Amino acid sequence: MITEVKDPSIETHNLTVVYNKKPAIWNIDFTLPKGQIIGIMGPNGSGKSTLLKSIMGIVDPNIGYVRIFDKTLDEVRDQVSYVPQRQSVDWDFPASVYDVVAMGRYARKGMFMRLNKTDHEVITACLDKVNLLPYQNRQISQLSGGQQQRVFLARALTQEADVYLMDEPLVGVDASTEQSIITLLKQMKSEGKTILVVHHDLHTASDYFDWLVLLNTRLVASGPFAQVFDEDILKDTYGGQLTTLSKIASLLKEKSFPMRHK
Amino acid sequence: MTWWQEIISFFSFAEPNVEIVFWGSLLLSAVSGLVGSFTFLRKQSLIGDVIAHSVLPGICLAFLIGKEKDPTYLLIGATIAGWLSTVAVDFISSRSKIKSDTAIALVLSVFFGLGVLILTNIQHSGMANQSGLDQFIFGRASAMNPADVRVFAVVGMLITLIVLIFFRAFKLLSFDPQFAQSIGFPLDLLRVILSVITVATVAMGVQAVGVVLMSALLITPAAAARFWTDRIRVMMILAVLISAASGVIGAAISYTSSGMPTGPWIVVVLSIMALFSSLVGRNKGLLKSRLLRWSNDRKIAIENTLKSFFYLTDGFENDPGPITNKILRENSRMHPADLRRGIFYSRMKGFLKKAHGGWVLSEEGERISKETVRKHRLWELYISKYMHLKPDHVHDDAEGIEHIITPEIEAELEELLEFPETDPHDKAIPKVSR
Repeated sequence: MITEVKDPSIETHNLTVVYNKKPAIWNIDFTLPKGQIIGIMGPNGSGKSTLLKSIMGIVDPNIGYVRIFDKTLDEVRDQVSYVPQRQSVDWDFPASVYDVVAMGRYARKGMFMRLNKTDHEVITACLDKVNLLPYQNRQISQLSGGQQQRVFLARALTQEADVYLMDEPLVGVDASTEQSIITLLKQMKSEGKTILVVHHDLHTASDYFDWLVLLNTRLVASGPFAQVFDEDILKDTYGGQLTTLSKIASLLKEKSFPMRHK
Repeated sequence: MTWWQEIISFFSFAEPNVEIVFWGSLLLSAVSGLVGSFTFLRKQSLIGDVIAHSVLPGICLAFLIGKEKDPTYLLIGATIAGWLSTVAVDFISSRSKIKSDTAIALVLSVFFGLGVLILTNIQHSGMANQSGLDQFIFGRASAMNPADVRVFAVVGMLITLIVLIFFRAFKLLSFDPQFAQSIGFPLDLLRVILSVITVATVAMGVQAVGVVLMSALLITPAAAARFWTDRIRVMMILAVLISAASGVIGAAISYTSSGMPTGPWIVVVLSIMALFSSLVGRNKGLLKSRLLRWSNDRKIAIENTLKSFFYLTDGFENDPGPITNKILRENSRMHPADLRRGIFYSRMKGFLKKAHGGWVLSEEGERISKETVRKHRLWELYISKYMHLKPDHVHDDAEGIEHIITPEIEAELEELLEFPETDPHDKAIPKVSR
């Protein structure tokens, strides 16, 4: 069940990424709407993070391409913001909350330009939006999981982008933080932002997402939440892989076989 | 001359060569502390070790080609060999099943073995000018000459300049490379630049420290500095200072005793500084956590002692007669040693004084006593309600928690429990006038 949209925010064309000779995502081909909160769900190892990373150019797709606002990533990079998984960095790094959030402004300032007064005002405002202003001078290792997640969100906010790609922003956060993050996302949506969220809790999904992408290495479904959130489709997503497909994937790895001749 | 006089003569630059050794060691170790900070932050300590060992064959080959110990040739040879070793580690760990720790061990031993092999050959070849080449193994700062130091000064300046220019990029690369890439920083280029300056730093540093111990000069200054601060800039400045000081002191010691290699001395001095930092460093220092525990223990002893008076006097309502040490010991659940300490500290702080043949609390002492019981009973009430514990299961928990409840949390508890009068055992919660 794949719904196509006109004038999409993000379009992927046959996107395929091979990790360690085995496809992590395979022929992902969809168009996503603008100005919605889009959930990306699927079982463990189904390629959710890989999908975000390949949209963001952090992993190069072996096959296929991505268009954002019908342009290449490099043309619209300053309109796209990426929030990595919280566990992907070492929080013992010598930096304060303010330091990390300020890194978001590097997206506009590049490697060399100094941050000016406007930048510092934006940083302070974004810290305030996630209620971290009182913690701005804390060493980041002294924060709870939920606070660390909010540091990452604040950093993304300072980028003032139009599309946000968030990898598991609700993992390891307490219930009240989860609610405040969702409120923030909804507010961002009301400002016309497009937000992709990798998520894995089926129970809460219906409260959060307008659009749902279901993934299990291949694309199982993409469409308005109510149409996609259906028992049969979910079974198809979580109930197991297409056996022929996974057999072929294992064979590719075993024989070191190229997926496609270049 | 005594040892001490020799040290003084070193720092007064009595001999012309000393000045060269001084500036050479200072430069090398300062740059090493600066660049090594990123090696440390990127958790690449072992890579530093590989590079350091792998420059040896480069130095030897450069000597064979150039037939003399020209610092520029040696530096170039060392840099190329060091660079090759990092490429080899990357190649092996990404293209084969071998994990990176094994790849590191493999590359290190192959390169170093090769280096020792060529070195031995050169030494037996009877070539002129070859003496002193073996000093690259353990380092010999006193062998430096003005030409060396000039080269180091130029290269060191260049490296420092690169670090200053790319500071933001290197910081982000070390903390969150994925994010750095997402905002369009040229990650591959940055990695190469950082790698090149690290290799060049090591290639210079082996002059003073030797290949075997060079990685210590790269990593230890940052590791020591990290104990003092949570700010990356401060950490790097401290690392440079610590490193420079160790380099100079180590060189001085080695200079004064003939035949003593410099590397081990620099590393000894560095290690002492690192050990000192780990003990008394403001940040995670062992001494600090020990002091914190002492102060916690003292607070607990004082509050428990004062609390005993509350129970003995039924909340200061009755007079049980003089409260002596014996009575306290018999009626308190405290360990006698803790009680002794509690009485000692309470008295020191003026919460307790001797009167009428026993102990009497001061006004402040009585307030703390009541306050402790009050917190105890509030907490009992709170956990019996919110953790669904039976009234006879709440006491032990409250014994510990009563000491840590802050006035703010106390106010929160009061509000949450709607200003209760009694605890789960129907005992009155004492009020405290503040």
